[in-house]
Amino acid sequence: MTLLSILFYICSNKIYNMKKTLLLPNNYKVIGWVTFLLFTALGLSCMYLDFQIPGFQFFYPKENSFLDFRDYNLTNEFALTGIVVGLLMVAFAKEKTEDEYILQLRLRSWQWSILISYIILIILNFSVYGTDFWMVLVYNLWTPLIVFIIKFNVCLYKLRREGVDDEK
Amino acid sequence: MMKNNLKVQRAIKNITQSDLADLIKVSRQTINTIESGKYVPSTVLALKMAKVFGVSVEEIFSLEEQD
Repeated sequence: MTLLSILFYICSNKIYNMKKTLLLPNNYKVIGWVTFLLFTALGLSCMYLDFQIPGFQFFYPKENSFLDFRDYNLTNEFALTGIVVGLLMVAFAKEKTEDEYILQLRLRSWQWSILISYIILIILNFSVYGTDFWMVLVYNLWTPLIVFIIKFNVCLYKLRREGVDDEK
Repeated sequence: MMKNNLKVQRAIKNITQSDLADLIKVSRQTINTIESGKYVPSTVLALKMAKVFGVSVEEIFSLEEQD
């Protein structure tokens, strides 16, 4: 549903505005958080309760292949994609007053998040081994987005607090 | 990096930071960071401010000695 609305948005004549800043309208922040929470719930129930949407798969193990334990159900893939799309919408939603200074904070926060994410990855690379490292790689799909959202919002919070007292 | 007398210009015209912000369609915090010299605005924004105050850009912004 949200994916469809994004596609519609991209195809609509508003594409010109979006191309300039690569940003979505402000209300996508709420849509993004809702999407993120829903798909996180789906992901968690998939991981801990072994929940799977029945019949939601394209490929099936070949007949007589007893050793094929691969998980062909797409529920977890669907949850992972939903979380990424939700976080992307939050990260790319405009602020209420998106001006050039906010845009500069935004770009600086992206630089930060890439740097921090790779530092985290390098540290975990040396401290987590074996199949656990596979989980690190999964979580690392979201690290840049999560670090960006935290960093950017901390910047905005500081900015808002800074200018409170010296009006006039 | 770059000096500005935005505060003086605002006082002359008797408008607040948020009035100026509304006039040139940025947030009040952005005006605040420009005034405190933390942020150097784009040429477009500088020209818009000059237009509001009815002066040339050089009258608001000037280079510092070491620039």
